[in-house]
Amino acid sequence: MAEKNKVPRIEGLFTWPSDQPRLIASRCKKCGAASFPKSPFCTNPDCEKNTDNVEVIELSNRAKLYTFAIQTYPPPEPFKLEPFEPFPIGMLDVPEGLRILGMLTTDKVEIGMEMEMTTKTLYEDEENEYITWAWKPVG
Amino acid sequence: MKNRNLAIVGIGLHPWGVFKDKSMAEMGCVAISNALADAHMKWRDIQTMACGAFMWIADGGGVPSLLLGTTISTMMGRTGIPCANVVNACASGQSILREACLAVASGEYEIAIAVASDKSAGGFFRPQSRDALWDTDYMRYAMTGETNPAYWAMEMKRRMRDVGTTEDDMAMVKVITSQASVHNPNSRYKKVFTKEEVLASPMVCDPLHLFEICATSDGAAAIIVCPMEIAEKFTDKPIQIEGCSVGTASFGDPTIMLTYLSTYPQPGVLPYSESRNALADAYKQAGRTPKDIDIVELPDNSSWHYFTYLDMILGLEYGGSEKLLREGYFNVPDGKVPVGASGGFGAFGEATVAQGLWQVIEICRQLRGDAGGGQVPNNPKVGLAQSYGYAGNNGVAIMSKAF
Repeated sequence: MAEKNKVPRIEGLFTWPSDQPRLIASRCKKCGAASFPKSPFCTNPDCEKNTDNVEVIELSNRAKLYTFAIQTYPPPEPFKLEPFEPFPIGMLDVPEGLRILGMLTTDKVEIGMEMEMTTKTLYEDEENEYITWAWKPVG
Repeated sequence: MKNRNLAIVGIGLHPWGVFKDKSMAEMGCVAISNALADAHMKWRDIQTMACGAFMWIADGGGVPSLLLGTTISTMMGRTGIPCANVVNACASGQSILREACLAVASGEYEIAIAVASDKSAGGFFRPQSRDALWDTDYMRYAMTGETNPAYWAMEMKRRMRDVGTTEDDMAMVKVITSQASVHNPNSRYKKVFTKEEVLASPMVCDPLHLFEICATSDGAAAIIVCPMEIAEKFTDKPIQIEGCSVGTASFGDPTIMLTYLSTYPQPGVLPYSESRNALADAYKQAGRTPKDIDIVELPDNSSWHYFTYLDMILGLEYGGSEKLLREGYFNVPDGKVPVGASGGFGAFGEATVAQGLWQVIEICRQLRGDAGGGQVPNNPKVGLAQSYGYAGNNGVAIMSKAF
Protein backbone atom coordinates (compact mmCIF):
# COMPACT_ATOMS: atom_id res chain seq x y z
CA MET A 1 0.00 0.00 0.00
CA ALA A 2 1.38 3.36 -1.02
CA GLU A 3 2.22 5.77 1.76
CA LYS A 4 -0.27 8.64 2.05
CA ASN A 5 0.63 12.29 1.72
CA LYS A 6 1.15 14.07 5.00
CA VAL A 7 -0.66 17.40 4.88
CA PRO A 8 -0.87 20.09 7.59
CA ARG A 9 -4.40 20.27 9.06
CA ILE A 10 -4.09 24.06 8.55
CA GLU A 11 -1.54 25.31 6.01
CA GLY A 12 0.95 28.07 6.71
CA LEU A 13 1.56 27.61 10.43
CA PHE A 14 4.75 25.54 10.07
CA THR A 15 7.24 24.80 7.30
CA TRP A 16 6.20 21.76 5.30
CA PRO A 17 7.29 19.47 3.76
CA SER A 18 10.41 19.35 5.89
CA ASP A 19 12.58 16.91 7.85
CA GLN A 20 12.82 19.52 10.58
CA PRO A 21 9.58 21.51 10.48
CA ARG A 22 9.53 24.88 12.22
CA LEU A 23 6.72 27.19 13.27
CA ILE A 24 6.28 30.27 11.07
CA ALA A 25 6.13 33.46 13.14
CA SER A 26 6.81 37.17 12.71
CA ARG A 27 9.20 39.53 14.46
CA CYS A 28 9.51 43.29 14.67
CA LYS A 29 12.86 44.50 13.31
CA LYS A 30 12.70 47.55 15.65
CA CYS A 31 11.88 46.02 19.05
CA GLY A 32 12.15 42.26 18.55
CA ALA A 33 8.58 41.45 19.63
CA ALA A 34 7.48 38.18 18.05
CA SER A 35 4.03 36.83 17.18
CA PHE A 36 2.68 33.39 16.35
CA PRO A 37 0.81 33.03 14.06
CA LYS A 38 2.50 35.86 12.22
CA SER A 39 1.02 39.33 12.63
CA PRO A 40 0.98 42.11 10.02
CA PHE A 41 1.89 44.62 12.74
CA CYS A 42 4.24 44.61 15.71
CA THR A 43 2.06 43.97 18.77
CA ASN A 44 4.13 46.19 21.04
CA PRO A 45 1.83 49.14 21.85
CA ASP A 46 4.77 51.55 21.74
CA CYS A 47 5.94 50.49 18.26
CA GLU A 48 4.67 52.19 15.12
CA LYS A 49 2.15 50.16 13.08
CA ASN A 50 4.18 49.76 9.93
CA THR A 51 4.08 46.42 8.11
CA ASP A 52 7.56 47.11 6.69
CA ASN A 53 8.97 46.75 10.21
CA VAL A 54 7.77 43.15 10.50
CA GLU A 55 9.68 40.16 9.13
CA VAL A 56 8.61 36.53 8.84
CA ILE A 57 10.81 34.14 10.84
CA GLU A 58 11.01 30.42 11.49
CA LEU A 59 11.12 29.60 15.19
CA SER A 60 13.70 27.35 16.77
CA ASN A 61 12.60 23.71 16.96
CA ARG A 62 13.87 23.46 20.53
CA ALA A 63 11.77 24.65 23.47
CA LYS A 64 11.46 24.36 27.23
CA LEU A 65 8.24 22.97 28.73
CA TYR A 66 6.53 25.65 30.86
CA THR A 67 3.51 23.58 31.87
CA PHE A 68 1.27 20.80 30.59
CA ALA A 69 -1.98 18.91 31.25
CA ILE A 70 -3.81 15.86 29.96
CA GLN A 71 -6.92 16.30 27.83
CA THR A 72 -8.96 13.23 28.75
CA TYR A 73 -12.16 13.61 26.70
CA PRO A 74 -12.52 14.46 22.99
CA PRO A 75 -12.52 18.22 22.29
CA PRO A 76 -15.32 19.56 20.04
CA GLU A 77 -14.99 20.11 16.29
CA PRO A 78 -13.00 21.24 14.42
CA PHE A 79 -10.61 19.09 16.45
CA LYS A 80 -10.24 15.54 15.12
CA LEU A 81 -7.98 12.84 16.54
CA GLU A 82 -8.79 9.40 15.13
CA PRO A 83 -8.72 7.07 16.89
CA PHE A 84 -9.18 9.31 19.92
CA GLU A 85 -7.09 8.74 22.99
CA PRO A 86 -6.32 11.11 25.88
CA PHE A 87 -3.41 13.36 24.96
CA PRO A 88 -1.04 15.76 26.68
CA ILE A 89 -0.94 19.44 25.74
CA GLY A 90 1.58 22.04 26.86
CA MET A 91 2.91 25.57 26.82
CA LEU A 92 6.51 25.82 25.66
CA ASP A 93 9.09 28.60 25.64
CA VAL A 94 11.16 29.03 22.46
CA PRO A 95 14.41 31.03 22.36
CA GLU A 96 12.81 33.79 20.27
CA GLY A 97 10.88 34.81 23.40
CA LEU A 98 7.49 33.34 22.54
CA ARG A 99 5.47 30.99 24.70
CA ILE A 100 3.61 28.59 22.40
CA LEU A 101 0.75 26.13 22.69
CA GLY A 102 1.03 22.61 21.32
CA MET A 103 0.29 18.92 21.69
CA LEU A 104 2.94 16.71 23.26
CA THR A 105 3.79 13.25 21.95
CA THR A 106 4.02 11.72 25.43
CA ASP A 107 2.83 12.38 28.98
CA LYS A 108 6.20 11.19 30.31
CA VAL A 109 7.37 14.77 30.74
CA GLU A 110 8.19 17.24 33.48
CA ILE A 111 7.98 21.00 33.73
CA GLY A 112 11.28 22.50 32.60
CA MET A 113 12.12 19.66 30.22
CA GLU A 114 13.89 20.38 26.91
CA MET A 115 11.60 19.51 24.02
CA GLU A 116 11.97 19.23 20.25
CA MET A 117 9.40 19.97 17.58
CA THR A 118 7.99 17.18 15.48
CA THR A 119 4.66 16.42 13.82
CA LYS A 120 1.72 14.30 14.88
CA THR A 121 -0.98 12.70 12.72
CA LEU A 122 -4.48 13.78 13.75
CA TYR A 123 -6.54 11.73 11.29
CA GLU A 124 -6.51 10.46 7.75
CA ASP A 125 -8.84 10.07 4.78
CA GLU A 126 -8.40 8.04 1.60
CA GLU A 127 -5.73 10.35 0.22
CA ASN A 128 -4.00 12.17 3.05
CA GLU A 129 -2.78 12.06 6.62
CA TYR A 130 -3.55 15.37 8.37
CA ILE A 131 -0.83 16.54 10.72
CA THR A 132 -0.13 19.22 13.29
CA TRP A 133 2.99 20.34 15.13
CA ALA A 134 3.78 18.57 18.38
CA TRP A 135 6.59 18.46 20.89
CA LYS A 136 8.65 15.49 22.08
CA PRO A 137 11.35 15.21 24.71
CA VAL A 138 14.87 15.80 23.30
CA GLY A 139 16.92 12.67 22.73
CA MET B 1 -17.94 57.19 40.37
CA LYS B 2 -16.73 60.78 40.13
CA ASN B 3 -19.69 62.79 38.81
CA ARG B 4 -22.52 61.16 40.72
CA ASN B 5 -23.10 58.56 43.39
CA LEU B 6 -24.96 55.67 41.78
CA ALA B 7 -27.43 53.24 43.31
CA ILE B 8 -28.63 49.80 42.35
CA VAL B 9 -32.37 49.93 43.09
CA GLY B 10 -33.68 46.91 41.23
CA ILE B 11 -32.33 43.38 40.79
CA GLY B 12 -33.96 40.51 38.97
CA LEU B 13 -33.01 36.98 37.95
CA HIS B 14 -34.36 34.15 35.90
CA PRO B 15 -33.20 30.97 37.68
CA TRP B 16 -30.14 29.10 36.35
CA GLY B 17 -30.63 25.70 34.74
CA VAL B 18 -31.62 24.22 31.39
CA PHE B 19 -34.75 25.67 29.79
CA LYS B 20 -35.11 24.10 26.38
CA ASP B 21 -38.55 25.58 25.69
CA LYS B 22 -37.64 29.18 26.50
CA SER B 23 -35.90 31.69 24.27
CA MET B 24 -33.22 33.99 25.62
CA ALA B 25 -35.57 36.92 25.07
CA GLU B 26 -38.26 35.28 27.21
CA MET B 27 -35.78 34.61 30.02
CA GLY B 28 -34.51 38.19 29.72
CA CYS B 29 -38.05 39.52 30.07
CA VAL B 30 -38.51 37.47 33.24
CA ALA B 31 -35.33 38.99 34.70
CA ILE B 32 -36.38 42.52 33.72
CA SER B 33 -39.88 42.04 35.17
CA ASN B 34 -38.39 40.87 38.45
CA ALA B 35 -36.00 43.85 38.55
CA LEU B 36 -38.84 46.29 37.78
CA ALA B 37 -40.97 44.77 40.54
CA ASP B 38 -38.04 45.00 42.95
CA ALA B 39 -37.67 48.73 42.14
CA HIS B 40 -41.45 49.37 42.02
CA MET B 41 -41.03 50.63 38.46
CA LYS B 42 -42.74 50.21 35.13
CA TRP B 43 -40.98 49.29 31.89
CA ARG B 44 -41.68 52.78 30.55
CA ASP B 45 -39.63 54.25 33.44
CA ILE B 46 -36.44 52.81 31.92
CA GLN B 47 -34.64 55.49 29.90
CA THR B 48 -31.68 53.60 28.47
CA MET B 49 -30.58 50.00 28.19
CA ALA B 50 -27.47 47.91 27.67
CA CYS B 51 -27.70 44.21 26.88
CA GLY B 52 -25.18 41.39 26.83
CA ALA B 53 -25.17 39.81 23.38
CA PHE B 54 -25.01 36.03 23.05
CA MET B 55 -21.63 34.73 21.89
CA TRP B 56 -22.42 31.26 20.62
CA ILE B 57 -24.52 32.34 17.66
CA ALA B 58 -23.08 29.73 15.32
CA ASP B 59 -24.49 27.08 17.67
CA GLY B 60 -27.95 28.64 17.75
CA GLY B 61 -29.85 31.85 18.18
CA GLY B 62 -28.51 33.72 15.17
CA VAL B 63 -28.83 37.44 14.71
CA PRO B 64 -31.75 37.91 17.17
CA SER B 65 -29.45 36.67 19.94
CA LEU B 66 -26.57 38.86 18.76
CA LEU B 67 -28.95 41.84 18.86
CA LEU B 68 -30.44 40.44 22.04
CA GLY B 69 -31.31 43.75 23.71
CA THR B 70 -33.24 44.84 20.64
CA THR B 71 -35.06 41.49 20.63
CA ILE B 72 -35.82 41.72 24.36
CA SER B 73 -37.07 45.30 24.06
CA THR B 74 -39.41 44.14 21.31
CA MET B 75 -40.83 41.43 23.57
CA MET B 76 -41.10 43.83 26.53
CA GLY B 77 -42.80 46.34 24.21
CA ARG B 78 -40.99 48.94 22.13
CA THR B 79 -40.52 52.25 23.95
CA GLY B 80 -37.92 53.82 21.69
CA ILE B 81 -35.09 53.97 24.27
CA PRO B 82 -31.43 53.62 23.33
CA CYS B 83 -30.08 50.06 23.52
CA ALA B 84 -26.47 48.94 23.14
CA ASN B 85 -25.83 45.24 22.46
CA VAL B 86 -22.46 44.35 23.95
CA VAL B 87 -20.38 41.26 23.16
CA ASN B 88 -17.78 40.77 25.88
CA ALA B 89 -17.94 37.07 26.71
CA CYS B 90 -17.74 36.30 30.45
CA ALA B 91 -17.10 39.98 31.16
CA SER B 92 -20.38 41.01 29.50
CA GLY B 93 -22.23 41.46 32.80
CA GLN B 94 -19.86 44.04 34.25
CA SER B 95 -19.47 45.58 30.77
CA ILE B 96 -23.18 46.36 30.41
CA LEU B 97 -23.48 47.40 34.04
CA ARG B 98 -20.65 49.82 33.33
CA GLU B 99 -22.58 51.16 30.32
CA ALA B 100 -25.64 51.68 32.52
CA CYS B 101 -23.53 53.40 35.21
CA LEU B 102 -21.77 55.69 32.73
CA ALA B 103 -25.12 56.63 31.16
CA VAL B 104 -26.45 57.79 34.55
CA ALA B 105 -23.15 59.23 35.78
CA SER B 106 -22.98 61.40 32.67
CA GLY B 107 -26.21 63.11 33.72
CA GLU B 108 -27.89 62.31 30.41
CA TYR B 109 -30.17 59.65 31.92
CA GLU B 110 -31.73 59.02 35.35
CA ILE B 111 -32.74 55.37 35.07
CA ALA B 112 -30.76 52.75 33.18
CA ILE B 113 -31.05 48.97 32.96
CA ALA B 114 -28.45 46.33 32.23
CA VAL B 115 -29.86 42.99 31.12
CA ALA B 116 -28.32 39.75 29.91
CA SER B 117 -29.69 36.38 28.99
CA ASP B 118 -27.83 33.26 28.00
CA LYS B 119 -28.31 29.72 26.78
CA SER B 120 -24.84 28.26 27.14
CA ALA B 121 -26.08 24.96 28.56
CA GLY B 122 -25.46 21.67 26.90
CA GLY B 123 -22.26 21.89 25.00
CA PHE B 124 -18.55 22.38 24.98
CA PHE B 125 -17.50 25.86 24.08
CA ARG B 126 -16.20 25.78 20.53
CA PRO B 127 -15.02 28.12 17.80
CA GLN B 128 -17.71 30.17 16.12
CA SER B 129 -16.29 30.24 12.62
CA ARG B 130 -15.00 27.80 10.02
CA ASP B 131 -12.23 30.17 9.19
CA ALA B 132 -8.73 28.84 9.67
CA LEU B 133 -7.28 32.05 8.25
CA TRP B 134 -8.39 34.72 10.75
CA ASP B 135 -9.78 32.83 13.73
CA THR B 136 -7.04 31.80 16.17
CA ASP B 137 -9.75 30.19 18.30
CA TYR B 138 -10.45 27.82 15.38
CA MET B 139 -6.71 27.20 15.01
CA ARG B 140 -6.15 26.35 18.66
CA TYR B 141 -8.93 23.76 18.62
CA ALA B 142 -7.95 22.25 15.27
CA MET B 143 -4.19 22.18 15.79
CA THR B 144 -3.68 21.74 19.54
CA GLY B 145 -6.98 20.34 20.86
CA GLU B 146 -6.89 22.92 23.63
CA THR B 147 -10.28 23.09 25.37
CA ASN B 148 -10.92 25.74 28.01
CA PRO B 149 -10.55 23.21 30.86
CA ALA B 150 -7.22 22.08 29.33
CA TYR B 151 -5.97 25.65 29.62
CA TRP B 152 -7.13 25.87 33.23
CA ALA B 153 -5.50 22.49 33.95
CA MET B 154 -2.17 23.66 32.51
CA GLU B 155 -2.31 26.73 34.72
CA MET B 156 -3.24 24.59 37.74
CA LYS B 157 -0.36 22.22 37.08
CA ARG B 158 2.11 25.10 37.07
CA ARG B 159 0.56 26.64 40.19
CA MET B 160 0.80 23.31 42.03
CA ARG B 161 4.49 23.16 41.20
CA ASP B 162 5.12 26.80 42.14
CA VAL B 163 3.14 27.16 45.38
CA GLY B 164 2.30 23.61 46.44
CA THR B 165 -1.47 23.54 45.92
CA THR B 166 -2.68 20.08 46.95
CA GLU B 167 -5.41 17.77 45.61
CA ASP B 168 -7.29 18.44 48.85
CA ASP B 169 -7.07 22.22 48.36
CA MET B 170 -8.60 21.92 44.89
CA ALA B 171 -11.40 19.68 46.13
CA MET B 172 -12.17 21.96 49.10
CA VAL B 173 -13.16 24.78 46.73
CA LYS B 174 -16.22 22.78 45.68
CA VAL B 175 -16.88 21.60 49.23
CA ILE B 176 -16.88 25.17 50.59
CA THR B 177 -18.90 26.87 47.85
CA SER B 178 -21.46 24.06 47.65
CA GLN B 179 -22.52 24.76 51.26
CA ALA B 180 -24.60 27.68 49.98
CA SER B 181 -26.12 25.89 46.99
CA VAL B 182 -29.04 24.44 48.95
CA HIS B 183 -30.07 27.85 50.33
CA ASN B 184 -30.21 29.70 47.02
CA PRO B 185 -33.60 29.58 45.25
CA ASN B 186 -31.96 30.34 41.88
CA SER B 187 -29.12 27.79 41.92
CA ARG B 188 -29.15 24.85 39.51
CA TYR B 189 -27.31 22.20 41.56
CA LYS B 190 -28.61 22.07 45.13
CA LYS B 191 -26.17 19.68 46.73
CA VAL B 192 -23.48 19.89 49.39
CA PHE B 193 -20.39 17.95 48.32
CA THR B 194 -17.81 16.11 50.42
CA LYS B 195 -14.12 16.14 49.61
CA GLU B 196 -14.27 12.43 48.88
CA GLU B 197 -17.07 12.91 46.32
CA VAL B 198 -15.11 15.61 44.53
CA LEU B 199 -11.91 13.57 44.40
CA ALA B 200 -13.82 10.49 43.19
CA SER B 201 -15.35 12.38 40.25
CA PRO B 202 -13.87 11.67 36.79
CA MET B 203 -10.64 13.37 35.78
CA VAL B 204 -11.58 15.78 32.97
CA CYS B 205 -8.23 17.44 32.38
CA ASP B 206 -5.51 16.20 34.70
CA PRO B 207 -5.17 17.67 37.39
CA LEU B 208 -8.79 18.96 37.37
CA HIS B 209 -11.69 16.65 38.28
CA LEU B 210 -15.24 17.01 36.97
CA PHE B 211 -16.51 18.62 40.19
CA GLU B 212 -13.60 21.05 40.16
CA ILE B 213 -14.89 22.55 36.89
CA CYS B 214 -18.25 24.30 36.47
CA ALA B 215 -21.02 23.23 34.13
CA THR B 216 -22.65 25.44 31.50
CA SER B 217 -26.17 26.74 32.16
CA ASP B 218 -29.01 28.92 30.91
CA GLY B 219 -29.85 32.00 32.95
CA ALA B 220 -30.79 35.68 32.82
CA ALA B 221 -30.27 38.73 35.02
CA ALA B 222 -31.19 42.43 35.09
CA ILE B 223 -30.05 45.40 37.21
CA ILE B 224 -31.56 48.90 37.41
CA VAL B 225 -29.28 51.86 38.20
CA CYS B 226 -30.24 55.43 39.17
CA PRO B 227 -28.60 58.39 40.95
CA MET B 228 -28.30 57.85 44.70
CA GLU B 229 -30.24 61.05 45.44
CA ILE B 230 -33.46 59.58 44.03
CA ALA B 231 -32.88 55.96 45.12
CA GLU B 232 -35.26 56.17 48.10
CA LYS B 233 -38.17 56.62 45.68
CA PHE B 234 -37.61 53.03 44.56
CA THR B 235 -36.15 51.04 47.45
CA ASP B 236 -35.52 51.04 51.20
CA LYS B 237 -32.24 49.24 50.64
CA PRO B 238 -30.18 51.02 48.01
CA ILE B 239 -26.79 49.53 47.17
CA GLN B 240 -24.13 51.95 46.03
CA ILE B 241 -22.17 50.89 42.99
CA GLU B 242 -18.78 52.38 43.72
CA GLY B 243 -16.75 51.05 40.84
CA CYS B 244 -17.40 49.06 37.68
CA SER B 245 -14.64 48.31 35.25
CA VAL B 246 -13.71 46.23 32.25
CA GLY B 247 -10.07 45.26 31.79
CA THR B 248 -8.05 44.25 28.80
CA ALA B 249 -4.62 42.65 28.96
CA SER B 250 -1.16 44.22 28.94
CA PHE B 251 1.50 43.62 26.29
CA GLY B 252 3.96 41.05 27.61
CA ASP B 253 1.48 39.06 29.70
CA PRO B 254 3.11 35.64 30.16
CA THR B 255 -0.02 33.50 29.89
CA ILE B 256 -1.47 32.20 26.63
CA MET B 257 -5.02 33.47 27.00
CA LEU B 258 -7.94 31.45 25.67
CA THR B 259 -8.40 31.73 21.88
CA TYR B 260 -4.68 32.47 21.30
CA LEU B 261 -1.79 30.24 20.27
CA SER B 262 1.07 32.15 21.85
CA THR B 263 2.20 35.07 23.96
CA TYR B 264 5.35 37.17 24.21
CA PRO B 265 6.20 37.39 27.93
CA GLN B 266 8.02 40.52 29.09
CA PRO B 267 9.94 41.08 32.33
CA GLY B 268 7.83 42.61 35.07
CA VAL B 269 4.46 41.89 33.45
CA LEU B 270 2.30 39.67 35.65
CA PRO B 271 -0.08 37.03 34.26
CA TYR B 272 -3.87 37.54 33.93
CA SER B 273 -3.17 41.23 33.43
CA GLU B 274 -6.71 41.83 32.07
CA SER B 275 -8.02 40.82 35.50
CA ARG B 276 -5.43 42.86 37.40
CA ASN B 277 -6.15 45.88 35.20
CA ALA B 278 -9.92 45.60 35.77
CA LEU B 279 -9.38 45.25 39.53
CA ALA B 280 -7.00 48.21 39.73
CA ASP B 281 -9.46 50.42 37.85
CA ALA B 282 -12.46 49.35 39.94
CA TYR B 283 -10.57 49.83 43.23
CA LYS B 284 -9.45 53.27 42.04
CA GLN B 285 -13.00 54.30 41.08
CA ALA B 286 -14.28 53.10 44.45
CA GLY B 287 -11.42 54.57 46.48
CA ARG B 288 -11.10 51.16 48.14
CA THR B 289 -8.37 48.65 48.90
CA PRO B 290 -8.62 44.86 49.23
CA LYS B 291 -8.82 45.25 53.04
CA ASP B 292 -12.27 46.84 52.65
CA ILE B 293 -13.85 43.81 50.97
CA ASP B 294 -16.20 41.78 53.18
CA ILE B 295 -17.62 39.37 50.61
CA VAL B 296 -16.54 38.13 47.18
CA GLU B 297 -18.15 36.52 44.16
CA LEU B 298 -15.49 35.33 41.73
CA PRO B 299 -15.32 33.24 38.56
CA ASP B 300 -14.93 29.75 39.99
CA ASN B 301 -15.04 28.21 36.52
CA SER B 302 -12.49 25.84 38.05
CA SER B 303 -10.58 25.44 41.29
CA TRP B 304 -7.61 27.08 39.56
CA HIS B 305 -9.65 30.25 39.01
CA TYR B 306 -10.69 30.36 42.65
CA PHE B 307 -7.12 30.48 43.97
CA THR B 308 -5.77 32.70 41.21
CA TYR B 309 -8.56 35.26 41.47
CA LEU B 310 -8.45 35.41 45.26
CA ASP B 311 -4.72 36.15 45.11
CA MET B 312 -5.47 39.08 42.82
CA ILE B 313 -8.69 40.38 44.42
CA LEU B 314 -7.26 40.41 47.94
CA GLY B 315 -3.76 41.45 46.91
CA LEU B 316 -2.19 38.28 48.33
CA GLU B 317 1.22 36.83 47.52
CA TYR B 318 1.28 34.07 44.86
CA GLY B 319 -0.22 31.06 46.66
CA GLY B 320 -1.59 33.09 49.55
CA SER B 321 -5.17 31.99 48.93
CA GLU B 322 -4.43 28.30 49.49
CA LYS B 323 -3.08 29.14 52.97
CA LEU B 324 -6.14 31.21 53.88
CA LEU B 325 -8.50 28.56 52.47
CA ARG B 326 -6.95 25.97 54.82
CA GLU B 327 -7.57 28.34 57.75
CA GLY B 328 -11.27 28.66 56.84
CA TYR B 329 -10.90 32.34 55.93
CA PHE B 330 -13.15 31.99 52.85
CA ASN B 331 -15.68 29.62 54.39
CA VAL B 332 -19.32 29.86 53.41
CA PRO B 333 -21.22 31.25 55.18
CA ASP B 334 -19.08 32.07 58.20
CA GLY B 335 -15.55 32.85 56.98
CA LYS B 336 -13.83 36.18 57.57
CA VAL B 337 -14.39 36.93 53.87
CA PRO B 338 -16.97 34.49 52.49
CA VAL B 339 -16.29 33.62 48.85
CA GLY B 340 -19.03 32.27 46.60
CA ALA B 341 -21.77 32.56 49.22
CA SER B 342 -24.25 32.23 46.35
CA GLY B 343 -23.04 28.70 45.67
CA GLY B 344 -20.74 30.06 42.99
CA PHE B 345 -20.35 28.84 39.43
CA GLY B 346 -20.17 25.35 40.91
CA ALA B 347 -23.83 25.53 41.95
CA PHE B 348 -25.04 27.74 39.10
CA GLY B 349 -23.00 26.79 36.05
CA GLU B 350 -21.64 29.23 33.59
CA ALA B 351 -24.22 31.28 31.69
CA THR B 352 -21.51 33.24 29.93
CA VAL B 353 -23.16 36.54 29.16
CA ALA B 354 -25.48 36.73 32.18
CA GLN B 355 -23.19 35.58 34.98
CA GLY B 356 -21.47 38.91 35.64
CA LEU B 357 -24.81 40.56 36.47
CA TRP B 358 -25.84 37.53 38.50
CA GLN B 359 -22.65 37.85 40.60
CA VAL B 360 -23.43 41.52 41.31
CA ILE B 361 -27.01 40.61 42.24
CA GLU B 362 -25.77 37.97 44.70
CA ILE B 363 -23.54 40.60 46.36
CA CYS B 364 -26.55 42.97 46.52
CA ARG B 365 -28.71 40.28 48.20
CA GLN B 366 -26.03 39.78 50.85
CA LEU B 367 -25.48 43.53 51.43
CA ARG B 368 -29.26 44.01 51.75
CA GLY B 369 -29.47 41.11 54.20
CA ASP B 370 -31.94 39.39 51.91
CA ALA B 371 -30.11 36.10 51.31
CA GLY B 372 -32.31 34.07 53.65
CA GLY B 373 -30.78 30.77 54.75
CA GLY B 374 -27.67 31.64 52.76
CA GLN B 375 -27.10 34.98 54.51
CA VAL B 376 -23.50 35.43 55.62
CA PRO B 377 -23.16 36.38 59.30
CA ASN B 378 -20.29 38.90 58.97
CA ASN B 379 -22.65 41.84 58.31
CA PRO B 380 -20.97 42.73 55.01
CA LYS B 381 -20.67 46.41 54.06
CA VAL B 382 -18.59 46.14 50.86
CA GLY B 383 -18.59 43.39 48.25
CA LEU B 384 -16.71 42.66 45.04
CA ALA B 385 -17.82 40.65 42.01
CA GLN B 386 -15.30 39.65 39.36
CA SER B 387 -15.86 37.67 36.19
CA TYR B 388 -13.36 35.83 34.01
CA GLY B 389 -13.12 36.55 30.28
CA TYR B 390 -12.28 35.10 26.92
CA ALA B 391 -9.30 36.31 24.97
CA GLY B 392 -8.06 38.76 27.62
CA ASN B 393 -11.06 40.66 28.89
CA ASN B 394 -12.42 40.89 32.39
CA GLY B 395 -15.01 42.69 34.50
CA VAL B 396 -15.12 43.87 38.13
CA ALA B 397 -17.80 45.64 40.19
CA ILE B 398 -17.52 46.94 43.77
CA MET B 399 -20.72 47.59 45.74
CA SER B 400 -21.47 48.89 49.22
CA LYS B 401 -24.44 49.05 51.56
CA ALA B 402 -26.06 52.50 51.40
CA PHE B 403 -28.81 52.36 53.99
